[in-house]
Amino acid sequence: MKFGIFFELSVPRPFSAEREREVFENALEQARLADELGFATAWAVEHHFLEEYSHCSAPEIFLTAVAVQTRQIRVGHGAVVCVPEMNHPIRVAERAAFLDLLSGGRLEFGTARSSTWTEIGGFEADPNSTKMDWDEYVRVLPRMWMEESLAYEGECFSMPERSVLPKPLQKPHPPMWVTVTSPGTELDAADRGLGCLGVAAAGFAEQERRTREYHRRVKLCEPVGGVVNDRVATLNFLYCHEDLRLGAERGLSFLGQFGVLNAHLLFTREAFPTSAYQSLGNLAPAPPRAGAPSDGPRIPEGICIGDPRNIIEQAKRWESIGVDEVNFLLNAVEVLPQEQVLESLRLFAREVMPAFGSC
Amino acid sequence: MLIGTADVEALGRAAPTLLAFDTAPLALEGVETLLFFSEIERAGSDALVPPGLHPTLPPAVTWLVQRVPTSPWGPFRLAQCRIECRSGLRPRGFLRSGVIDNEKAAGALEAQWGFALGPGEVELSRGYDRVRATVDLEGRRVLELALSQPSPLAPGDIHFAASMHLAQTPRGLRLVQVDPDYQVTRAERGEPLLFEFDAEAWQSPGLCPSLPVAASFSIARMVLPALRFVCQPESLAFQGTEKLDA
Repeated sequence: MKFGIFFELSVPRPFSAEREREVFENALEQARLADELGFATAWAVEHHFLEEYSHCSAPEIFLTAVAVQTRQIRVGHGAVVCVPEMNHPIRVAERAAFLDLLSGGRLEFGTARSSTWTEIGGFEADPNSTKMDWDEYVRVLPRMWMEESLAYEGECFSMPERSVLPKPLQKPHPPMWVTVTSPGTELDAADRGLGCLGVAAAGFAEQERRTREYHRRVKLCEPVGGVVNDRVATLNFLYCHEDLRLGAERGLSFLGQFGVLNAHLLFTREAFPTSAYQSLGNLAPAPPRAGAPSDGPRIPEGICIGDPRNIIEQAKRWESIGVDEVNFLLNAVEVLPQEQVLESLRLFAREVMPAFGSC
Repeated sequence: MLIGTADVEALGRAAPTLLAFDTAPLALEGVETLLFFSEIERAGSDALVPPGLHPTLPPAVTWLVQRVPTSPWGPFRLAQCRIECRSGLRPRGFLRSGVIDNEKAAGALEAQWGFALGPGEVELSRGYDRVRATVDLEGRRVLELALSQPSPLAPGDIHFAASMHLAQTPRGLRLVQVDPDYQVTRAERGEPLLFEFDAEAWQSPGLCPSLPVAASFSIARMVLPALRFVCQPESLAFQGTEKLDA
């Protein structure tokens, strides 16, 4: 079991350049510490126009900063939006290869198609075609990285024969992932030999069902790239404190804030009726565990907040159902002071990671 | 997070009266609905929803124009103008105002579900290549829109957000949650065309449509629900939601 960190770069109102910079600097400091502590991957999303929720519109630049300020931690492009109105596929291939080279071969390459109307509408993309676009991207990107030169005629783009440069350091290319929000996308990942990058928190039962099916299908895949990535990662929330109640209180405060901001996104299906987007929303943490208030903090099932003992218990459950990597959001709109976030990371590394042999 | 800034006191003066909370569900068969979603200009849009609700980004309006062939009050046609929003975590549409062509139905919908409705002419016509809706008040056109070049959708593809109706209730001025159940038997989506919208006539000064996004047409069995929740219009749903059987 590996642990990663996951950045949305959410920024509290009122916005200012100073506030944005503070959020970026705090995130970079968290990445540096995570690197020292033995976390596996620092992921950064790609989002556009999502006020407060995520100001991570140029993740490749943020991840370049992470790469040059760290030594071991892998940098996760989690994920590049594979829609031509947002990112031309040639530029995607070029930037990813560049980042892989600059990071010394530490790139994890995630792919996605965007789920909000705010973003899809903002770029005037057609919601009906984003899945087809994505499918075309994940098949042609590996060719751009592996083939010396390539001519291509496709549906969403074409190019005459050119050599897409540079080529990535990792051979045949960096591990590829798909972000999974809608149920069923894990099967798209499996069929193509792509890793399953869960970004929608789900309860154990649902995740176990999806993970089991993913592992069954990926064995039969027709890989779109030169290598199969058969790993499953999930999104989680981390706040670790010696005191269970205090840990839960602080953790739930930022989890709750993130949940509210997520629920306030305008999802594509609300604005544009289509079969291409089945989910209304992308974050569904399990409800709080049942019980009376005297039973202790009501932390949702599977969420890694509280004291080390509780977090180990939750992470062991994830491990037992076949999850390979748990990626943690550490804060939201700076609800938690930076020092608390860093202390939580240190305690997690000291008390939780040894239980998984991952430090 | 964004929070509405509408003047609740001013809205309350024009709010309809919900007589009681013991509304029984009502099934309406064969309801035809033209649902039109459009982004609106952001300037001033926060003032279109009360502080108990959160505007969306981008801000958006939906118009629902419905033809109800049979009801306890006879057939009627209804048009609603709603601002898309969130109540707590839930997608909702805040009803700014509505127009209806059946006085008895207007009275019942107001008294039992808190619809804010005024009398007018509502037309919903369906042709091979277009569904067209118009609303006229005293001979003046205040809404004209259409769905062009319809193509079929799966019945479950259309999302109907529940409504929040500001009404004077037995508990005082409240946002009444009205979440009809739609059992769709036919669904289509097409190009949205907006020809006319008079914001003042819809009690929505400052509402300026900027980008029509989608129009859908459906035929459904629509069940107007029993009332379950109301919210205080000046408190966020996390604090201001009241369960009615509590």
